[in-house]
Amino acid sequence: MKAIKDSVAGSLESSDVLVTLRPSSEAAVSLQVESIVMKQYGRRITAVAEELVAATGLSGASLRIQDRGALECTLRARLETAIARATA
Amino acid sequence: MAQSFRSWEERALSEPGELAERELLLRSRGLSVPGGESLVLGFYDQGRLAATGALVGKVLEGIAVAREAEGEGGAAEVVTALIKAALGRGIGHLFLFSKPEEGRRFAELGFAPLASAVLGPGPGTGGALGAAVSRGRGVALLEWGSPGIEDWKASLARAAEGKPRGAGVVVVNCNPFTLGHRKLLEFAASSVPWLYVLVVEEDRSLFPFAARIELVRRGSRDIPNLTVLPGGPYVISSATFPTYFTRPEPGQEEGRIAELHAALDLELFRRHAAPALGAAARFVGTEPYCPTTSVYNRLMKEILPDPGREGPALRVVEMPRFERGGEAVSASRVRRLIREGELAAVRPLVPPSTWEWLTSPEAGPVIERIKASDSRH
Repeated sequence: MKAIKDSVAGSLESSDVLVTLRPSSEAAVSLQVESIVMKQYGRRITAVAEELVAATGLSGASLRIQDRGALECTLRARLETAIARATA
Repeated sequence: MAQSFRSWEERALSEPGELAERELLLRSRGLSVPGGESLVLGFYDQGRLAATGALVGKVLEGIAVAREAEGEGGAAEVVTALIKAALGRGIGHLFLFSKPEEGRRFAELGFAPLASAVLGPGPGTGGALGAAVSRGRGVALLEWGSPGIEDWKASLARAAEGKPRGAGVVVVNCNPFTLGHRKLLEFAASSVPWLYVLVVEEDRSLFPFAARIELVRRGSRDIPNLTVLPGGPYVISSATFPTYFTRPEPGQEEGRIAELHAALDLELFRRHAAPALGAAARFVGTEPYCPTTSVYNRLMKEILPDPGREGPALRVVEMPRFERGGEAVSASRVRRLIREGELAAVRPLVPPSTWEWLTSPEAGPVIERIKASDSRH
């Protein structure tokens, strides 16, 4: 599914994550991950994002994840919401 | 603790009473009302205004959390709401002004610091830039989203590829391009190995950007060591230098803010644009009329050559305005003549390429706009 509009889900509050998705001209999805626990969880966050991108077949988007210490279930929920909103 | 602020009620403020309450909150935190807001948000805790933030175009401004509501991630909630509102309006690249000492708080929210500026003792005491951070005398600029400053620097570096270092830079609005600009470019190009002309891209002038940059290109085509570039969002733009476009009177609080913005624009230029272009000098014409521009020129001579700042120091060369008929040739003079219906008197003040454009059908709407306006630019 191609991203057709800007979308955002989540927040910058502590224990949450802000996911911003913008359509881009490139076919691939570019991923930018920031986290207050980058050393411990940066790779896991990237893996979850890549998994969801593959599962939804998202394309043509740049995805920015600003993690403020969210649980994995929160991260997944935010990603799914942002992707659904961008492709609807 | 998240529980307590999830109960905040968010709403857009528009009533005079709400805005007055918001102004009190801003003042209590040492902030002034930004002005020109496209959206003002208020966050209420049981009927009391606990926090506020505003969107001025693509700039997040006037963000404050009441003292009693502090320390529970309030700023994060305000910033999140503003980011969502901006994205909802199709704005994906945002700027934020904060006090320098609070820049770190916003950096933690994913904002990248671009530059900061601090003014010394106020106007009347020489206005020297000092290192001391005093309340309300400094400002930091941060950005969020893309394309960001790194993309812009990469585009400048591409434009400068293969060109000699030690180059010069002129930043111009050229509203429109006159013989005064032409003389400045000739002089500057003759004293450096290469000259970059950055044209202010913000479309807030009577001549649209597309026409302004085209006239600069046509009017400087015969100068071999010169490249004309769009100024982008970081050179005298409404994000980095909003007061350039509103021209407040100096001496007032707004004048002091204008000084801060001018200083910020120069710090940005020195830290980011100049190194990307391999520039060692900046050229500028003297400014006899406009107070905002004359403050800008004064700060330029303080900030760019100062060895104690971040980024390589630059030479500043100020050239006296070219005169014709005992009066400086300036774009504002050209606009004044057009407004007064004296188009023929413009001819000796502009290069043939500008004259040709002014008398073409394309110029019609612009000339009508100038005649109908009393804007200074």
